[in-house]
Amino acid sequence: MKTKLKKIHSLAAVAAVIGTQFHSSHAYAAEISNEDLQKLIQHVDELEQKVKILERNREVDKETSDAAAAQFKKEAPQISIGQNGFGFKSADGNFGLKLEGVLQLDSRTFFNDHGIQGNDGFILRRVRPIIEGTVYRDFDFLFVPDFGGSTVQIFDAYLNYRYDPALQLRAGKFKVPVGLEQLQSDAWLPFNERALPTDLVPNRDLGVQLHGAPFGGVVNYAAGIFNGVGDARNSANSDFDNNKEFAGRLFFQPFRTTKINALKGLGFGAGGSYGSLSSPSATGLPNTTGGTLPGYTTDGQQQFFAYNPTTGTVLADGEHWRISPQGYYYYGPFGLLGEYAISNQRVVKGAAAKRLENTAWQVSASWVLTGEDNTYAGIVPERPFDPREGKWGAWQLAARYAQLDIDKNAFPTFSNPLTSANEAKAWSVGLNWWLNKNVRVLTSFSRTTFRGGGGTGTTAPAIVTRQPENTFFTRIQLAF
Amino acid sequence: MKKTLIILALAEMATVMVLAPAVQAEKAVTLLNVSYDPTRELYQDYNAAFAKHWKETAGQTVVIKQSHGGSGKQARAVIDGLDADVVTLALAYDIDVLAEKAHLLPADWQKRLPDNSAPYTSTIVFLVRKGNPKGIKDWDDLAKPGIAVVTPNPKTSGGARWNYLAAYGYELKRTGGNDAKAREFLKAIFKNVPVLDTGARGATTTFSQRGIGDVLIAWENEAILAKQESKEGEFEIVVPSVSILAEPPVAVVDKFAKRHGTEAVAKAYLEYLYSPEGQEVAARNHYRPRLEAVAKKHADEFPQIKLFTVDEVFGGWQKAQAAHFADGGSFDQIYQK
Repeated sequence: MKTKLKKIHSLAAVAAVIGTQFHSSHAYAAEISNEDLQKLIQHVDELEQKVKILERNREVDKETSDAAAAQFKKEAPQISIGQNGFGFKSADGNFGLKLEGVLQLDSRTFFNDHGIQGNDGFILRRVRPIIEGTVYRDFDFLFVPDFGGSTVQIFDAYLNYRYDPALQLRAGKFKVPVGLEQLQSDAWLPFNERALPTDLVPNRDLGVQLHGAPFGGVVNYAAGIFNGVGDARNSANSDFDNNKEFAGRLFFQPFRTTKINALKGLGFGAGGSYGSLSSPSATGLPNTTGGTLPGYTTDGQQQFFAYNPTTGTVLADGEHWRISPQGYYYYGPFGLLGEYAISNQRVVKGAAAKRLENTAWQVSASWVLTGEDNTYAGIVPERPFDPREGKWGAWQLAARYAQLDIDKNAFPTFSNPLTSANEAKAWSVGLNWWLNKNVRVLTSFSRTTFRGGGGTGTTAPAIVTRQPENTFFTRIQLAF
Repeated sequence: MKKTLIILALAEMATVMVLAPAVQAEKAVTLLNVSYDPTRELYQDYNAAFAKHWKETAGQTVVIKQSHGGSGKQARAVIDGLDADVVTLALAYDIDVLAEKAHLLPADWQKRLPDNSAPYTSTIVFLVRKGNPKGIKDWDDLAKPGIAVVTPNPKTSGGARWNYLAAYGYELKRTGGNDAKAREFLKAIFKNVPVLDTGARGATTTFSQRGIGDVLIAWENEAILAKQESKEGEFEIVVPSVSILAEPPVAVVDKFAKRHGTEAVAKAYLEYLYSPEGQEVAARNHYRPRLEAVAKKHADEFPQIKLFTVDEVFGGWQKAQAAHFADGGSFDQIYQK
């Protein structure tokens, strides 16, 4: 009622003005009747209603077009380009493909090595385009070839069914769940090379693995069956034996989901494997990197121990088990990682047979000088390198001590004590510059001393164990 | 000894794998109820009641999320992947579509719960402005020239389809089943519709907040709610001589519920709607309860109207949909923007 009265008053005022003007020029003009005023009010009401309808229709049209645009956006594939790689996925996220990569250009410079030829220089340590993706929401895949060695190798190629983060099944070629540092991504390592315990654990193998991270990642478990490989070996696409190897790992981060910040980064557990060869095999022995026979290598990737008896050939035969207690602790810029590894293997040479137990351990500590969080999964610089803006990335200091002991029963039947060392001790310090999450420059120095070996000979391990190994490493890394 | 350690470690892993799903079952469970436009208040109220009931009876915390929109639009969203554990839509056809087109639940879903899986009912009434200035009393008044009628779009809104069929059924009954006359009647009504909202709640906004139209054709519960929420006396409800019995159905979306592991709680969620407590919540939110005792208690709030069903007059929702709301159906023929 009030509105209507107001409207009448307004209209009356308008009419009065019009009327006054009209009257001034036409003195005889008739006064506006009440009926005319009512008609005018009705007319204004109708116009008002039309305006409201137009406005509302515009709103509804906008709602409809917004909904259509939202639907289009929802259905359109998404493209992402950023520090985590380049990728695209379907609108519902059920299908996706991501392109990532790791490129590492290393240099190794050996000091006081009595002129060993060919070990100083630049190398492409890893050149790995990484293709990963998802199909039908729950099926993930990863394909990683490596062009960094003298031959192209497939490092990872697997399909992973993810029923839930707590329950997943992986099949293909991938890292065997035993060694802690071995399982850490190559792009996040604080040193160019992993420490000595990694010599005693398997690298990648073909198999099937049940794994997951229940309770929000408080527990990480993995249990699988694999073809079986020798220590540090990367499986070729074949099995050298009919028997299989079982491997598993259980790792706890009990405070991960709590509010106790100082303990959130604490993790510990153990990995292990068990296999038994049905027939003697050289492939069941350790890797041949840095030498010609199976053995173990230094940080500088030179062989300091080999199964190199003066006569005959050593083969792996029978049981081979490994166990590796492990743990880490990260808090703020500080990080500590440690692991112990035992590799117990039966070896034969002709009629002689022995079970050898080689052990290794390491402790490494690191500190991010620029204050960023130090984690097992790398560092994300808060101020990515941009000198124009006065930003210099993140700097990390790292130190490590590691030791590997060869079973004394290996000598002299299975290894020549005059050329192979029975112990290697290594310490390393490093300074890493994370320009941003994707680009990193590593520098480190490593010194390894040996017990045993050092005799005559022109090849590894004799020429390696003759003096301590002093190596300066650099790396320029792109990882995205 | 070391071998024993390995075996123990592997055994521990196996235990973790077996126990993990069981321990997870104790965690809070989340349900998504995809519903139609005007049920926001009903399910806010009901969800709280059910969560309390479930905690008391099953010892589990349940969090229920709601999604609302035009019923047809919501059904399409579920087909497109909106992971509904349950749907509580405006009409059976929209759930039939989920069964037929996307196989998200069995075709006989309506038989799984009492009363054709419709735990409460409603009907269609008119909301007019104070004093009913245009003197609207029945459906034929809506077809008169100069009456601005607000109703949503039957292509997207379940409520609008009930409105349409209520008017259509009225005219069929009045003319002894003359289909052509019924179409003409609907054509005249829609000539008076200035705005076609996508959902029932939008139409209520158009009428009550934007001040458009002389009459809103609305769900009874929506009309009561709009009247309650308005300034005193701003709106009046007019009950037509005859209307339609609206039976909004509910169903568990088996495929999604199974994937989420929520089948049991989703089933219990819908069953509880039939309980005295659930029926009381429905009545409190102006839906007509099925349970006689609750209906009796709230009898004063729901006037007696002559009601016909979709089955009686149109041969069921499948036929009604094909004849009136499918592309090229009667609505497309009579309505041109």
